[in-house]
Amino acid sequence: MQTFRILSALLSYPEPDLLAALPALRAAMDEEALLPHPAAVELGGFIDELARLDMLDAQERYVALFDRNRSLSLHIYEHVHGESRERGQAMVRLAELYRLHGLHISARELPDYLPLFLEFLSILPERAARSLLADAVHVMAALREKLARRGSPYAAVLRAVETLAARPAAAHMVAETVAALGADADTLAALDRQWEDEAVRFVAAGGPDGAADAAACGGA
Amino acid sequence: MSHFLDRLAFFRKNIDSFSGTHGVVTNEDRTWEEAYRSRWAHDKVVRSTHGVNCTGSCSWKIHVKGGIVTWETQQTDYPRTRPDLPNHEPRGCARGASYSWYLYSANRVKYPLVRRRLVELWRAERATKAPVEAWAAIVEDPAKARHYKKVRGLGGFVRAQWEEVEEIIAAANVYTAKTHGPDRIVGFSPIPAMSMVSYAAGSRYLSLIGGVNLSFYDWYCDLPPASPQTWGEQTDVPESADWYNSTFLLLWGSNVPQTRTPDAHFYTEVRYKGTKSVVICPDYSEAAKFADLWLHPKQGTDAALAMAMGHVILKEFHLAGRSEYFDAYCRKTTDMPMLVRLDRRGEAFVPGRLLRAADLDGAMGQANNPDWKTLAFEEADLSLALPNGSIGFRWGESGKWNIEEKDARDGHEVRLALTLAGREEAMASVAFPYFGGSAPATFHATDHAAMLHRNVPVRTVQTKDGPVQVATVFDLMVANYGIDRGFGGGNVAASLDDDIPYTPAWAEAVTGVSRHHIATVARQFAENADKTHGKSMVILGAGVNHWYHMDMIYRGIINMLMMCGCIGQSGGGWSHYVGQEKLRPQTGWLPLAFALDWNRPPRQMNSTSFFYAHSSQWRYEKMDTSALLSPLADAGALPASLIDCNVKAERMGWLPSAPQLEANPLGIAAKAEAAGQAVPAYVAAQLASGGLKLSAEDPDAAQNFPRNMFVWRSNLLGASGKGHEYFLKYLLGTDHGVLGKDMGHEGGTKPAEVAWHDEAPTGKLDLLVTLDFRMSTTCVYSDIVLPTATWYEKHDLNTSDMHPFIHPLSAAVDPAWESRSDWEIYKGIARTFSRIAEGHLGRERDVVLTPIMHDTAGELAQPYDVADWKQGDCAPVPGRTMANVTLVERDYPATYARFTSLGPLLGKLGNGGKGIGWNTEHEVALLGGLNGTNAEGRPRIETDIDAAEVILSLAPETNGEVAVKAWAALGKQTGRDHTHLARAREDDKIRFRDLQAQPRKIISSPTWSGLESEHVSYNAGYTNVHELIPWRTLTGRQQFYQDHAWMRAFGEALAVYRPPIDTHTLAGVRGLADERPSMALNFLTPHQKWGIHSTYSDNLLMLTLNRGGPVVWISEIDAKSIGLVDNDWIEVFNANGSLTARAVVSQRIPSGMCMMYHAQEKIVNVPGSEITGLRGGIHNSVTRVCPKPTHMIGGYAQLSYGFNYYGTVGSNRDEFVVVRKMLEVDWKEAPHREAETVK
Repeated sequence: MQTFRILSALLSYPEPDLLAALPALRAAMDEEALLPHPAAVELGGFIDELARLDMLDAQERYVALFDRNRSLSLHIYEHVHGESRERGQAMVRLAELYRLHGLHISARELPDYLPLFLEFLSILPERAARSLLADAVHVMAALREKLARRGSPYAAVLRAVETLAARPAAAHMVAETVAALGADADTLAALDRQWEDEAVRFVAAGGPDGAADAAACGGA
Repeated sequence: MSHFLDRLAFFRKNIDSFSGTHGVVTNEDRTWEEAYRSRWAHDKVVRSTHGVNCTGSCSWKIHVKGGIVTWETQQTDYPRTRPDLPNHEPRGCARGASYSWYLYSANRVKYPLVRRRLVELWRAERATKAPVEAWAAIVEDPAKARHYKKVRGLGGFVRAQWEEVEEIIAAANVYTAKTHGPDRIVGFSPIPAMSMVSYAAGSRYLSLIGGVNLSFYDWYCDLPPASPQTWGEQTDVPESADWYNSTFLLLWGSNVPQTRTPDAHFYTEVRYKGTKSVVICPDYSEAAKFADLWLHPKQGTDAALAMAMGHVILKEFHLAGRSEYFDAYCRKTTDMPMLVRLDRRGEAFVPGRLLRAADLDGAMGQANNPDWKTLAFEEADLSLALPNGSIGFRWGESGKWNIEEKDARDGHEVRLALTLAGREEAMASVAFPYFGGSAPATFHATDHAAMLHRNVPVRTVQTKDGPVQVATVFDLMVANYGIDRGFGGGNVAASLDDDIPYTPAWAEAVTGVSRHHIATVARQFAENADKTHGKSMVILGAGVNHWYHMDMIYRGIINMLMMCGCIGQSGGGWSHYVGQEKLRPQTGWLPLAFALDWNRPPRQMNSTSFFYAHSSQWRYEKMDTSALLSPLADAGALPASLIDCNVKAERMGWLPSAPQLEANPLGIAAKAEAAGQAVPAYVAAQLASGGLKLSAEDPDAAQNFPRNMFVWRSNLLGASGKGHEYFLKYLLGTDHGVLGKDMGHEGGTKPAEVAWHDEAPTGKLDLLVTLDFRMSTTCVYSDIVLPTATWYEKHDLNTSDMHPFIHPLSAAVDPAWESRSDWEIYKGIARTFSRIAEGHLGRERDVVLTPIMHDTAGELAQPYDVADWKQGDCAPVPGRTMANVTLVERDYPATYARFTSLGPLLGKLGNGGKGIGWNTEHEVALLGGLNGTNAEGRPRIETDIDAAEVILSLAPETNGEVAVKAWAALGKQTGRDHTHLARAREDDKIRFRDLQAQPRKIISSPTWSGLESEHVSYNAGYTNVHELIPWRTLTGRQQFYQDHAWMRAFGEALAVYRPPIDTHTLAGVRGLADERPSMALNFLTPHQKWGIHSTYSDNLLMLTLNRGGPVVWISEIDAKSIGLVDNDWIEVFNANGSLTARAVVSQRIPSGMCMMYHAQEKIVNVPGSEITGLRGGIHNSVTRVCPKPTHMIGGYAQLSYGFNYYGTVGSNRDEFVVVRKMLEVDWKEAPHREAETVK
């Protein structure tokens, strides 16, 4: 499906060939008409805006947003596994999935890079693509929310990606993902909350009688 | 699902049992285990390490699956060393275990990045112009240059193609070399031992084009000047395994468990053998917990403590109750018996220089270097002896440069006299300087005079200038320590309880440590050394070396070790651990790194003086020499201003210069030719007439700016850059937080030697290029950021002081994204440079100035008083009274061809180091075979592995055949056979693939003073003591006494206590006080627990273990007095700038000081400063360099320059800051707006 590939291109670094191809992308998107109405219009707006931009402005914006911000990383597992050691293993599995479909990564990129993943989806049958995307849709939603908060036009691209998933993102997962990678703590209190150590409780708050609850903790 | 339903009612699962009924065979479905099995299955496990300058140098297994690094675990296959010694493994720590995070983290530099404003200008110019012309059009237009320089540090990067950034860099380099001179292109990269090929990549490129490599060890202030002063050696220390051979460990300011994590086990283990451990540290550090006794002197007063301990040791083990061992050791290996001339000063005397053979009629029969041969009395009849081994024997003759107890004239055995006591011809009243009578801020001043007269036994020697009074170093030393020997006179202590410098009672007042503890520790330290013949050891942390008068602290401590015969003895000695200094295969690496195979000498510069001048920190100097000189000095003898001292040092050939001359060095040879003069003579004459000028005399003139700068393997602006805000203002020309005013505004006394510009230039650098794998603070401020391979993506070599193994970094996976190894990056730049140079630079003749170098015959340049040709004291003679002048032929279009092949000079001139040279044609031929040869028949150096093989083949430490050659070469000088030290491994040749199989023990080599053998752990000075090889000093011995005129002028001929200096940085910020409570605290920056320098301090895994951003530790008492509670945000500031951080309020810290762990990144959780309105700075935002003139001395035996060996050091601990709680926290998240548009 062309739309997945178009979204992949739009989330890539704005090189001259991409900027030159924008009208064609727009036409292909309209022709395939895979996106629901409001998302399609918004995305059209984004494409128009990108086309109007000076290339260096577009590139500077892209680097500042995606290369320089961990909380807006386009590497999906940054939001799923963060700094955990699970991340390497997860990428290995994803690469294996691509191989099962006869695809080998030729770009110097990681398997969880969103544009690369979208390109992969573009060659799958629609149902499979929508279903796979649904596994990561909360990351798309979280990214969209963070971009929207910054007033970035890129929110429209993520919104479009979101609408292609078989299921919408579960609100609590979105909230968790947004919180996990720095709700950009812009106040002292917010930053404090992020780094606050959990108090260790040796007995439950209610005293010795609450010991049963305490035994189940380790957390809360 | 309910457990009930899970259970089988009618069947059982097991179908068989084994081992009685202990084992059960089932036929359950076990495919779920696959997930766990595959988790531990890897395509490959590759050996690598972390090139992070932590000294751990730990070998790691890198687990790779599907082309992706999944994690790392510790290697456990180090060769075992000796019976009884615990294994080295497992080595590693939490920081290294978190490294793989960086590979795929969002903070990785993935693509070449370039400042958008710069690339926009570039593309516009490049559309119509060739590269060099395009660069010229940008930097020669002030508006354009300003346009991109002023937004440095404010984001604004775009990705670029390698070809484009290579072209920009090459064009800038060609333009700069052609227009201003290649010495305006500089590079900073530290600690080659952590990844020697990567260092060599950049330094080789710079050395080929005539650029300048900047030093790091002295700049970091990890260089202890006391070491070259005492031993003529940069630093040589025992490996950590030797702690296990010690029976008394004194940890002095070293926080072993925290900062030497992989080595700490030797320390904890040896305590179970009964080894005593005393920890000296002002705060309750992690090491303090391991102590049998913890002493906590007031920070910065360590010299007082050491002097008092020395007092006890001298008194009780050298005078009363003599130790036979100490006596013999000191007589043989130290300058204690050497004779010092006493200079008359009014009624009294002051200690002068060491007596030399040339002082006598007939010069003791010495035709060769009599100025550099020191004398002593023979004990039997007090006749004058000429002991073997002084530096005069090192050069121009052979066979007598050893420390056998012989007279060099006829080889008869001599026992030298240590003291004249009882056989003196007179008692002379000798004046000693005392500096403890005044002290700044909270430091304790004592009530003693600035000049202390003490009686010393003397005899008269008839010199060619008449009779001269002489004393032994030993007798002067005992007097300096203030010990009463019954000679009469004042200022000596009969009891340890007398309040006389330097008794324990005196030290108690200065340091706060009980006199009884001082005496007890000193006694036990010495008693142990006496009984074990030297197995008392001091493990020193560099923290105590970071005070302005660090050499007094260190010499105080080193004196204790020498008095007790601990240096060069297994289990004893001076264990100064700082960065990863020990590049074991050094002599194999030098030719590769500095392109010595193509041209010699390379340009090298001491960074402290360089940055002091070029980041204009000197404009803010408050210190002058009058505050530093000895009360016994002739005040007019030295310039008042510190930068004037530095200029003088450069002029006299003591210190290097960069840039060197105001004129382009590529244009000088032609002028000399036109004048019909040889180049050295021409340069000397032009300097004398003013036709040529040293750049140092006017660092603010445009023709003297450094123009292009490379930073690699370093975070200069985020970690080591003292005076951070000055860097931002003057070198970069961007937003800065300098709060003080320069001497133009303050009305200070301006320097006499350096031109003053009322308006200082800003933005001196045209181009700052940084290579890194992570977006560090330095990257953020750079114009071009090049993505490098991580430590798991390249091949390289790694060695350390802490263990005797050499082992590799290996490419477990290919460099991710667009990154490349440092070797490939510089190769690419060299290729483009060669192409672009065509038509601009061809074969050029470059005039290179080098200072008078240590370990060359030139070190015998200036034997007596300081003579400055500019003041008419002498004529300018290259290599004698001024720098060496050498003509170097460069072939700029051939830069790439030269970079990638081994040049002809190794075959022609041989190889060597530290004054030892050998023929190496055989190894050059070997490399041709190993690496293959190019069309010209030269060995290739195409890949990083080729480069590693060059190092390994040429170095004695990794090629036994070379080791034997090197020992034989040294044997010629000493007249002794040392080849037995390497014979057993003569056939051993270590190659890169061997190292990938297993870390290898290095081969013993004369480059170092320790042995790595089946019998002893590596211990510095071992071959001096046991093979009788001289130390590379004036006397050939370990020197208590420093007789250079400037050392005497600054009162440091003998070790003394000097309190911290007053940096005057608080006066300038008094106006910023408001109603909030605040206080001034001493500011210390020790090493942290959650990072290594700045690396890992942006790693979220490590950040999570602490407060998630920068912190400053402060005592409970001080916190309470200014209303702080733990975790409050505070602002810390002084005239140099301001930083913001969390307060950690802790009992660990004593009142009066605060502690900010060194190098916490500015890019993580640093809010804006309320004072500057900019983002808060780093720890170096409140520091400024203040050089010490004694470190500028040169042309004088061991006090001659060497790169990273001697020179000014960047001390920073004397600094005070104001601390107060912040009201507002502003994260500065808004996009950058130009000031104009805001209006």
